Amino acid sequence: MTLGDIIKESWISVSGNKLRSFLTVLGIIIGVMAVVIMVAVGETVQKSITNQFSALGTNTIVIRAGAARNRGVRMGNRQTLTITDTDQIKRLSDVMYITPAQMGSAQVIYGNKNWSTMILGAYPDYLAIQDIEMEYGTPFDMNAVKNASAYAIIGPDTAYELGLPDDPVGEFIRIQHIPFVVVGVMKARGDSAFGSQDDMIIIPITTFKKRLQGSKFPDAVTMIALKIFPDANNNVVIEQITSLLRQRHRLKDADEDDFQITDMKQIMETMDTVTGYLKLLLIAIAAVSLLVGSIGIMNMMLTSVAERTREIGVRKAIGARERVIIIQFLSESVMISFIGSMIGLVLGVGLSQGVGRFILHYDVPFSIWPVILSVTVAVVVGLASGVMPAIKAAKLNPIDSLRYE
Amino acid sequence: MKNTSPIIFLKNVNKSFPLSLGGVQQVLFDINFTIKSGEFVAIMGPSGSGKSTCMNIIGALDSATSGTYELYGKDTKTMTPDDMATIRNEYIGFVFQNFNLLSKRTVIDNVMLPLMYRGIVMRDRIERAREMLRLVGLEKFETYLPTQLSGGMKQRVAIARALSGNPKLILADEPTGSLDSKMGNEILKFFEKLNRDFGITIIMITHEFEISQYAHRIIHIYDGRITYDGPVPKSETVLLKSEKRVKK
Repeated sequence: MTLGDIIKESWISVSGNKLRSFLTVLGIIIGVMAVVIMVAVGETVQKSITNQFSALGTNTIVIRAGAARNRGVRMGNRQTLTITDTDQIKRLSDVMYITPAQMGSAQVIYGNKNWSTMILGAYPDYLAIQDIEMEYGTPFDMNAVKNASAYAIIGPDTAYELGLPDDPVGEFIRIQHIPFVVVGVMKARGDSAFGSQDDMIIIPITTFKKRLQGSKFPDAVTMIALKIFPDANNNVVIEQITSLLRQRHRLKDADEDDFQITDMKQIMETMDTVTGYLKLLLIAIAAVSLLVGSIGIMNMMLTSVAERTREIGVRKAIGARERVIIIQFLSESVMISFIGSMIGLVLGVGLSQGVGRFILHYDVPFSIWPVILSVTVAVVVGLASGVMPAIKAAKLNPIDSLRYE
Repeated sequence: MKNTSPIIFLKNVNKSFPLSLGGVQQVLFDINFTIKSGEFVAIMGPSGSGKSTCMNIIGALDSATSGTYELYGKDTKTMTPDDMATIRNEYIGFVFQNFNLLSKRTVIDNVMLPLMYRGIVMRDRIERAREMLRLVGLEKFETYLPTQLSGGMKQRVAIARALSGNPKLILADEPTGSLDSKMGNEILKFFEKLNRDFGITIIMITHEFEISQYAHRIIHIYDGRITYDGPVPKSETVLLKSEKRVKK
């Protein structure tokens, strides 16, 4: 019996009962399609998050003000970081860019339009740390920070919402009734995992603290962000910063840090692990439908063996060996599984790519994994669900089979 | 020219089946006979006499509980199921009462089936199958499905399938049982021709005395025992009288 004979015999059997074969194949189609789509969704999420973090660079370090403690008791959030801390950290040789940062939302007015948006107080280095480019104008400089000038760099979405002209440099806007001059407009960057990056206004940190907040502690900030030189070692710099800040904050050996330092490398690794688990979870859910599909094949094959008992008897009577009967029934289940897997693969890839590109306008990464997965599924599911019926068929007694009604 | 060497040899063959409620039921008792190449033998007996069990043993579909059965000098006692399948494929052509054609395969596919299991290449299979279909007068029906044929035609397809493997022996189990008398006679004449012109050994199971007239020898079985083994008698009375010996 040649391979051609096996394929032909299997095809005749599978196509001989079209509706039943179609329904069985449908189970595998849905299963494989679900797995392929879930792999695509998982990879898209993973790629999107990784892209957003890697855009910041693995050499970015963020220091957040921590909770103040009194005799081991947390006393609530306090702004334990200062602009002066920032300037001291800047002196470390590995620091390339650094900025203090503080955020808040405020009402912004231009002409008769007003818009509530996020205001960020920072140094001009913030733009370099975040790789923000300018569409119009130029960023404010450190003199503006020193003088607490009312300069504003605005996001393109904010400019649009406020109805500013295309090139709004030199226009005046009012933030909490304080007039600011627009010195630049950022280039559009799209949404990030943290919300829109295009709807915000960046002003000098000193202006934010003194003029906008009117703070009693104009030096205190909630965050410091910095970028170190690419060849610098993250851990070494983190140790240096920790040591410097502990010294500056006069912390005793027994005291815990009153700040938290995280670097993008850590965050990216954590996010990668989280999205990896998410992807596995999605695939596991989809795999359940694949399992149901394979049970469908086994059910069909068992029914088929029962229905074709006499045929099996005839085949054995005229010389089919047990091995040949096993191969024939296995090839039928593999054929069903293979057809289902290939259709499921095409539909899954087509749907995930189509929905991604034309509806979500997002490039769904094409992965070789679904293809490998589908072929493996076709073989493994086909063999696993066909082996029991095939052995059952092969072990049938030819005399009893020939008498079967 | 008939070859007179024995091809089938049964000595003290017994067969019993386990009963579902325990115990066993013996259906064949000390069966002894030899069939030589080129013979046309009818195995006769009433329903339940054990003739089909005897045919299953001869056809290597079943094995004896005790005793010796040799087919072409090969003892079947030590054979595995796969060895038996090979023996069936190489030496025996089966013709069944209800044809046993594969309904979803064409006529030519059915005829080629034994050749497929023998590993013959497709071109030779087709050539041999067409030759057999010509022999049974169905060469124009090779692409038909069995369901499109009459009973007589189906049995001729079954004979073509049995012959396609070039067997030394044809085992026919009530081959005319599903046919009308005219069609039945045609089939029996065809068996006669195969035996006469091609020297094929034919063993036919039947319970009808008229049908056994086409054979040259009758082995009559009653209650699992051979009561008569000899040339075809002119009257069935001879066979019925032989049964009485067992009844006593």
